[in-house]
Amino acid sequence: MSRILAIAWKDLRSTMRNVPALAMMLLAPLALAALLGFAFGGGQSFSISATKVAVANADTGASGAGAAENAGAVVVGVLKSPDLSDVVAVSEKPSAAAARKSVDDGKAAAAVVIPADFSGALFATSPTAPKTAVEVYENPTQEIGGAITESIVGQALLGFNGARAAALAANGLATANGDGARAAELAQQAAQKYFNDGGAAAGVSVAQRAPRLPGGESTKDVGVTGTILAGMMVFFMFFGANNVARTILDEDRAGTLPRLFTTPTPRHTILGGKYSSVFVTVTVQAVILLVAGRFIFGIDWGRLDAVAALTLVAAAVASGLALLVISAVRTPAQAGAIGAGVYLVLALLGGNFTGTAAAGGTYAQIQKLTPNGWLLQGWDAVMRGGGLADIALNLLVPLLFAVVFFAVAALRFRKRYA
Amino acid sequence: MSIVEVQELRKQYDPPKGVLAVDGVSFHIDQGEIFSLLGPNGAGKSTTISMLSCLLHPSGGDAFVDGHSVVSDAQAVKEAIGVVPQDIALYPDMSARENLLFWGKMYGLAGAELHTRVDEVLELITLVDRQKDRVEKFSGGMKRRVNIGVALLHKPRVLYLDEPTVGIDPQSRRSILDGILALRDQGMTILYTTHYMAEAQELSDRIGIVDHGKMIAIGTNAELVKIVGEEAHVDLSVDHYLEGMVERWAEVPGVSTATIDEDRAVLLVQDANEVLPRLFETAAAAGSRITEVNVTEPNLEMVFLHLTGRALRE
Repeated sequence: MSRILAIAWKDLRSTMRNVPALAMMLLAPLALAALLGFAFGGGQSFSISATKVAVANADTGASGAGAAENAGAVVVGVLKSPDLSDVVAVSEKPSAAAARKSVDDGKAAAAVVIPADFSGALFATSPTAPKTAVEVYENPTQEIGGAITESIVGQALLGFNGARAAALAANGLATANGDGARAAELAQQAAQKYFNDGGAAAGVSVAQRAPRLPGGESTKDVGVTGTILAGMMVFFMFFGANNVARTILDEDRAGTLPRLFTTPTPRHTILGGKYSSVFVTVTVQAVILLVAGRFIFGIDWGRLDAVAALTLVAAAVASGLALLVISAVRTPAQAGAIGAGVYLVLALLGGNFTGTAAAGGTYAQIQKLTPNGWLLQGWDAVMRGGGLADIALNLLVPLLFAVVFFAVAALRFRKRYA
Repeated sequence: MSIVEVQELRKQYDPPKGVLAVDGVSFHIDQGEIFSLLGPNGAGKSTTISMLSCLLHPSGGDAFVDGHSVVSDAQAVKEAIGVVPQDIALYPDMSARENLLFWGKMYGLAGAELHTRVDEVLELITLVDRQKDRVEKFSGGMKRRVNIGVALLHKPRVLYLDEPTVGIDPQSRRSILDGILALRDQGMTILYTTHYMAEAQELSDRIGIVDHGKMIAIGTNAELVKIVGEEAHVDLSVDHYLEGMVERWAEVPGVSTATIDEDRAVLLVQDANEVLPRLFETAAAAGSRITEVNVTEPNLEMVFLHLTGRALRE
């Protein structure tokens, strides 16, 4: 054990004397996190100001439509929902012209104009009834605000259209079954059931649209800088590990590794020392970055036990991967070039540059093919307040990756230095 | 009593078609003697040492160090040997003392014993005053001394030195050779490889001459020189017509062999004083003029030339 520590200590001290390597391991991730954090809001969280929307609701309602006799009012209600108060600020206007003028005058990013026959068209039971449209009038210079308004209104209309489709289907069935007298009542019930089952969004909650993450039900906001620094930290841990693991090749060329093999120190102890030096170095790197993130950017990383576990697993992954890369190449130059390629691809796939919170669909699945994707999801969950139980998979899966990386690397080294 | 016994040692890289670097080499080294492997670059000396250091696995044969097989008992062999590699194998960003402390730990030393041995070795390699300086600041000779010192830390029974004087100044070389002789006087067994004939002659109790992976001669310096008898070595340069002259000189009475080495003729002659006038006469008769003559009494260089037809430095 003392020999392993001696090798690890030697390498660690050598790394600490290597100023360019230290700059790459510590300053680069901090600088990138600071720059990107500033670009995306300059502070603790990513935020944009609420989009100003002028609404003119001319809908006269539909007689006999029961609870939803004025669909226009429902749309206005969706826009004014408390869940969306951070996203849109609604001001009601008496007319379509007044609403459009607000946009023209730059007082609103978008105007929503609901026509007088909106409810009538919506609740018409005949498939051949005249159609109508809700207008979203946008200021072309405020694309994001317009897109947000379109999205919310579109979501609401999607719900209405679904309910309308359900009502039409019920009406058709009742008529076909000779129950024409109850057709209107059945159509209303079908539409109501569609609403009750959640087919229509009574309000589009951004929180509800967020990805479901371990611990995602927690209420803490995750700062942009924290998310970015977590990604950069894991990414640069790969490079830090690569730098130290590369000393195996450097020592091979310098003759110190073959000389080590002529000493009574067993080869597995020598490689164990090398692995330990990589692991210790990147762990120290991560701790420094975490502390710096806390005191420079005020990042709340989350519960200490979960942070410690994630840090150690990330260090194990970085170490195992670096040893695997080094075991597959012959020269330090190859290690630099191929290592950089591997780490960059993994970072792109795993979400080191984009974060994992916004990922959905196929990209979310791709992220789970990478150890860093799992780790970053874990960091996101911990920063949201998650604990060890919430990130169990985010620890176990990368740990499995690390074990496989190390085992393959050990086999390759054993073959090379047999 | 033999402390190193090498039996038909063989190494082929990338078999079956790879280079046969060592081809059935056998020799033994007695306790307390300096045994030199002498041969040109690429003869198989370093490969032989690598196998005896358990760094390379032999393709065939075996070797025993202090009774332990390099094939089946590598750990015991490593505890018995100290290896000084051909190139400086140290950590340049660490001081001499830090290097010795680290390597001492790798040899299993610890605590007070480790520090005592480091102090002793620093004294031995005369670097006590510079022990805290980084190795990268040292001269070539000083680095060589630290390189040797590392291998002495654990008081090995056998010390392997692979061309330890390559590329250093004469003063440092002298210092290292004296140090090696002192170690021998203290009872250490030494395996020394070199392509410098003079070093082998000066240091060695016995010498093995290797070429193309084979041991072509073995014995004391005196025994080896007897192989070429009393013949002297005559180097001749001529102003032109070298090839033709070599053919004619080969037929001169008293000349055993005549070969070309780069731009000069190399002759083995029985009596230089008697033969030299005939060589001048032959050259004059052929219209050629001798521009330089060197006469060397029998030595290992001539033995190598005699056995291989080539000069040792080739």
